[in-house]
Amino acid sequence: MTDIIEINNLSKSYGGPRFSGPPQVADGVRTYGGPGSSGPQEADGVRTSGVGKAVDGVSLRVARGEIFGIAGPNGAGKTTLVECMSGLRRPDGGTLRVLGLDPQNDRRELLQRIGAQLQEAALPDAIKVGEALRMYASFYDKPADWRALMSEWGLADRKGERFANLSGGWKQRLFIALALVGNPEVVFLDELTTGLDPAARRTTWGQIREMRDRGVTVVLVTHFMDEAEALCDRLAVICRGRVVAEGSPRELIAQAGSDSLENAYFALTEGELA
Amino acid sequence: MKGSTQVIGVELKLIMRDPMSAFFALAFPVIMLWVKLRSGNKPLPGGVLAIDATVPMLTAFVIGLAALVVLPATLAHYRDRRVLKRLRVTPASPVMLFGAQWAAHMLLAVLGSVLVILIGLVAYGLRGPASVPVVLLAWLLGALSLGSIGLLLGAIAPSGRAATVIGLGVFFPMVFLSGAVIPRESMSGSMRAIGDLTPMAPVVQAIRDGWSAGTTSPLTLGIMVAISVIAGSIALRAFRW
Repeated sequence: MTDIIEINNLSKSYGGPRFSGPPQVADGVRTYGGPGSSGPQEADGVRTSGVGKAVDGVSLRVARGEIFGIAGPNGAGKTTLVECMSGLRRPDGGTLRVLGLDPQNDRRELLQRIGAQLQEAALPDAIKVGEALRMYASFYDKPADWRALMSEWGLADRKGERFANLSGGWKQRLFIALALVGNPEVVFLDELTTGLDPAARRTTWGQIREMRDRGVTVVLVTHFMDEAEALCDRLAVICRGRVVAEGSPRELIAQAGSDSLENAYFALTEGELA
Repeated sequence: MKGSTQVIGVELKLIMRDPMSAFFALAFPVIMLWVKLRSGNKPLPGGVLAIDATVPMLTAFVIGLAALVVLPATLAHYRDRRVLKRLRVTPASPVMLFGAQWAAHMLLAVLGSVLVILIGLVAYGLRGPASVPVVLLAWLLGALSLGSIGLLLGAIAPSGRAATVIGLGVFFPMVFLSGAVIPRESMSGSMRAIGDLTPMAPVVQAIRDGWSAGTTSPLTLGIMVAISVIAGSIALRAFRW
């Protein structure tokens, strides 16, 4: 297998005072600093110490065809890391290659070859399932057949349904289909199952495995250890912007001498979270 | 550009599915027309019949409504709901998305304009435009200039609700002062002087000129071009996902 994501000593800091207090909340929308600032969405007031590094010297490799997990507590820097990988944020230091491309300089090409469902991203309420798939397909040079995709993911019966009327599980299913509509080689999923009931979560797990079985590499951000254990071929546990452990769920469990990934996770992050 | 026709089509459908936008852009101008003409189709000071002034005025009103009220609200609401954030991880470019949003909202204004024109022709004996090309050019430059301001408002508004408040706050004084609701002939000199400073004044002026005289001054058109370029380039710079 070849590595399709290579990250060496990556860092991204947000500098100073923005981290010292909670974010400004105006009209329900969080903002960090002035216009153009790019504070992490998940660091709300969590990071109170350190020098404001959301990602601090992360190195990791993701191999083609695997489900790679990025796990860690809130504010650990998971989202920032994924946003660097998908070209949304410019890292301060280190090197980063995704599909052999620089996510900043080769952003246009990269966006043709990746799919993503970022945290809390949504669609307009009144858009219909079929319209969303068709519109998103039109953005790509070599899109998948959106009608076929719609059938494969069981959405054909809901083609005319509005986004706002879909249940959580169906929304996730649509998000997965949208992430796949550009025929991507890598898909980034950030907390895809947060807020789903247990049955819908299980269903979504099956869908993520199916993605991998079709040859798509999946980078999965999660803070559920049962999810990471069930799904990930390998994972990195991130805490305060650093990788504290990396390997297959089995390896991490063995490394921590635990009986489950969840217990291994607490053992591995214990010192860090104190 | 790639995907733009798809986005324009979908966005237009989304606007029409929102009862508020559809009402404001389609029904509201028709109600205004009925209210203005209720007391008869009398000549205004200067001799132009009320209907021949009111219909061109209301087409400017509709452009303003779609550009200054609906468009910024759509953009800011999409930012609030992280619709833009999802689009950001696709190859869709911000220029394409901006342009498609503008086009979809201006198509809404086309529908609203066509509706008042048809009603004017059928029910009130409206005289057709003296020059169709001049009216179209004036309408298009009006859509560009007010649309650029709308995109700018949508780019800088802190939230969807704020965008609606700002949009209405800009729109209502502007339509009343610029002669889009009250004919310029019936306004006092001081009101007209204030109204002439608003970006809607050249839109009203040019459409009415084209309608009744078949020509308009290059200065009026030039002002709209200048507003489009300036507001449009600031909007692109200020754009946030």
